Amino acid sequence: MKQLIQVKINGRTYQEEVEPRVLLSFFLREQVGLTGTHVGCVVGECGACSVLLEGRLVKSCLVLAVRTDQKEITTVEGLAKEGTLHPIQEAFVEHYALQCGFCTSGMVLAGHHLLTQNPDAGEEEIRQKLAGNLCMCTGYTQIVNAVGSAAKAYKK
Amino acid sequence: MLHGIVLRSTYPHARILDVDAQAALEFPGVVAVVTPELVKQRTHPFKPGRYAAGLKTPIPEYATAIDRVRYLGEPIAMLAARSPSIAEDALELIRVEYDPLPTVVDPWKAMESSAPLLFEELGSNVAWKGAVSYGDVEEAFKSADQVVRENLRTHRYSSTPLEPLACLASFDNVSHSLNVWCNGQNPEVVYDALGEALSLEDYRVVIPDIGGGFGQKIHLIRKYIVLTSLMALHTERPVKWIEDRSEHMLAAGQSCGMDFEVEAAVKKDGTVLGLSIKEVDDVGGSVSTLTIHFTNKLNNLFSTYKVKNLRLEGRSVVTNKCPVVPNRGIGKPSMCFIWERIMDRIAEALGMSPAEVRSVNLVQPDEFPYSAPNGNIYDSGDYPELLKRALKNIEFEKVKSEQEKAREKGRYVGVGVVVGLEPGGRNAARDMAIFPDAKEMPGAGGVEGATLKLKRNGTVTVVLGAPSCGQFHETTTSQVVAEVLGVSPEQIHVESSWDSGLSPWGIASSNTGNNFHLYDIGAVHGAALQLREKVLKLAAHVLEISPEKLTIEEGIVSSNESPGKSVTFKRLGKVAYGNQSDIPEELEAGLHTTYYYKFPHAEPFLLPDTQGRVRAQFTFSAAAHAAVVEVDVETGRVQVLRYVIISDNGTILNPGVVDGQIYGSVAHGISVALGEGFVYDSEGQLLTLTLTDCSKASTMETPKVEIEHYQVPSPFSVLGQKAAGEGAAIPSPAAIASAIEDALQPFGVKARELPLSSEVIWRLLNR
Repeated sequence: MKQLIQVKINGRTYQEEVEPRVLLSFFLREQVGLTGTHVGCVVGECGACSVLLEGRLVKSCLVLAVRTDQKEITTVEGLAKEGTLHPIQEAFVEHYALQCGFCTSGMVLAGHHLLTQNPDAGEEEIRQKLAGNLCMCTGYTQIVNAVGSAAKAYKK
Repeated sequence: MLHGIVLRSTYPHARILDVDAQAALEFPGVVAVVTPELVKQRTHPFKPGRYAAGLKTPIPEYATAIDRVRYLGEPIAMLAARSPSIAEDALELIRVEYDPLPTVVDPWKAMESSAPLLFEELGSNVAWKGAVSYGDVEEAFKSADQVVRENLRTHRYSSTPLEPLACLASFDNVSHSLNVWCNGQNPEVVYDALGEALSLEDYRVVIPDIGGGFGQKIHLIRKYIVLTSLMALHTERPVKWIEDRSEHMLAAGQSCGMDFEVEAAVKKDGTVLGLSIKEVDDVGGSVSTLTIHFTNKLNNLFSTYKVKNLRLEGRSVVTNKCPVVPNRGIGKPSMCFIWERIMDRIAEALGMSPAEVRSVNLVQPDEFPYSAPNGNIYDSGDYPELLKRALKNIEFEKVKSEQEKAREKGRYVGVGVVVGLEPGGRNAARDMAIFPDAKEMPGAGGVEGATLKLKRNGTVTVVLGAPSCGQFHETTTSQVVAEVLGVSPEQIHVESSWDSGLSPWGIASSNTGNNFHLYDIGAVHGAALQLREKVLKLAAHVLEISPEKLTIEEGIVSSNESPGKSVTFKRLGKVAYGNQSDIPEELEAGLHTTYYYKFPHAEPFLLPDTQGRVRAQFTFSAAAHAAVVEVDVETGRVQVLRYVIISDNGTILNPGVVDGQIYGSVAHGISVALGEGFVYDSEGQLLTLTLTDCSKASTMETPKVEIEHYQVPSPFSVLGQKAAGEGAAIPSPAAIASAIEDALQPFGVKARELPLSSEVIWRLLNR
């Protein structure tokens, strides 16, 4: 039995009928068509599917879509504004902080979430806060550097 | 579109008595099930490739198991339904009747005469046995002052791209044409598999930008591409299949578990006269990649050392485990592990320092190009300088002097310094070196093209011959084109999809074997030179100036002599494609060119000779790695305190890209050394089904790495460039092992095996 949910994604409101068992990650990709959220493991290990739910960083493969009724979600598509990359995305490009790109949307959102909370985060804290996101290509160095360099954009 | 899902074996070894899909087919939304029966009826087995050439008796291998499964997760059937969730639900309704067979997991047990056989027709689980030998090994051991022996072991792991295997197939039954989109790294494997298995003539393969490969998407993926395509043929509807994570861990392929008995013939001064290695490869439950880990050792068989005599004997043993596939350096990390571990052991035996023993044996800078005894020709390098700088940067003497004081306080710190090669540009004929009587030499040499076009709007399109896996191929190639052509990189678009019908591909067109630096760069460089000629000719005609008097900058062709006399690429695009009356008859129409780069051009050793000498790869990057570790002797936990790399990748075209490859590959090598990998129980059950169980390193486990570049350009490549890809995964396990052994020297612990996980170290300490 499908349920009707209303959810605000990247500032836009969607009313969608969804099966109770559908995971948020698949809802975003297959039903809403936001394929920037990647699915690397479906069990909350890799972090490629990370999104912001009510401002909290969550792995969308661990959330049922029906639980997001009346809630607000930001996916990676919500970061760039009017065709201009968000400063954290710019920093990833600048620092070669991505290779195959599969983990990138989750990494970018994890970095964005951290810097929103603490724009003064140092390398240790950046490493700690990105530990829930796995990358098989980069060895993390350039990702950590990118997040560190994006911090200035978050300081008011 | 239909969604495919694969039914997999729940037994590591069993006969399949029956596959009954009736109940699944009756489930609403299910469209079809491809059973082993249909697979056998409608497809042909894959032709044995160069890695199965050693089989005495051919073993037909299809996309699925037919009447027997030999590893957990082996594909048996595919079901297609209208949605992925229907497919998942219905899969459980397919009933497979198994007759479980005894399993054999340990390759040494598999070699015993009482072991259950995986392939009765082979008469043994030793599916291949052979050797390569260079120089006079017997004489080397006769002349030795001492023989140093060691047994070593490396384990099963995988580079595990985050994007799983995937395929989408669509068949038109009127034109009988098949279109396939997939993420296979090696187009040749995919293309040949479809042709062979489905007997198709009209088919097209598209490989969009791949989400990581590392070798993992070369071989076994062909099974799923054929299976998905068969489903599309069978249902006459488009079918999509995406592997999930646990399927990947179970059945997408693992590196080979390898055991080595090593003997080194040495002189008192540390000179290594010869090496003898006996290897046992645990190749898992398939014979399709039987010798792949053995022959890949030919790439760095002599590593950085000028040793003249070496014998490598191998046995490939089938077991009830996942089949083996390449990943990040395949075979080469183990070959480097052998060399570097035995060097440390020789140092110990002769009372020399590890660096001294290496120095005595390193190929010297004035010996390049250096011909290794097995046919490899090392293009350039300065190995002593790499070693010297590594010792300096890691502050070797300081660490050693502090080591004593730390030990007094109960802290166990150690340092390891190793040297390794990173060969680049593969020669697939290499694999036939172990089959001197082979009539067919598949895939010799290296050829790949690039297509460049200056378009009607004045911008430039680049089509590469090989697919892209996330190593910034687009960035680096557009940089080269920009430089040669005189246009800004922003005006260049590199196609990121590979297309069997459009891409200029050759034998080297594969995102494997460190091919990019040699072939893609060689091809775009050549194509850009050709296009530049064409642009100049057309501009010369438009400006009525001779081409020699023109320069190109930022997409504008200008006269050297008359300032202000110029024409833009945009204008030239309009002229070239817009108005034939503007183009004189002698000028070729269009601003379009395809150039095929070839290397090497001829002998020596493009093909293996009767002594098995062959140029296995064509350029040779090198690096010295130095690690400082601290071992907690209570728990066995290892912390990497410092990690230093001095890397020679030839002329660096883009430092950010090269650094990224080094950071990535060293992180994996270190993770593998410290515990990442696959574990099976004695029944053939995989205990590491998830990324966490497999101990994948996060930001917290990955140490900081300090890179220094020392560039020795290659005289063989167009811009002096050498490989930068899997490189740092090759010496890093050896560096970590060396440092751990040094730290645990007071306990007499020897680092003979990988992984050196906390558990393994704890056991070694508490033996």
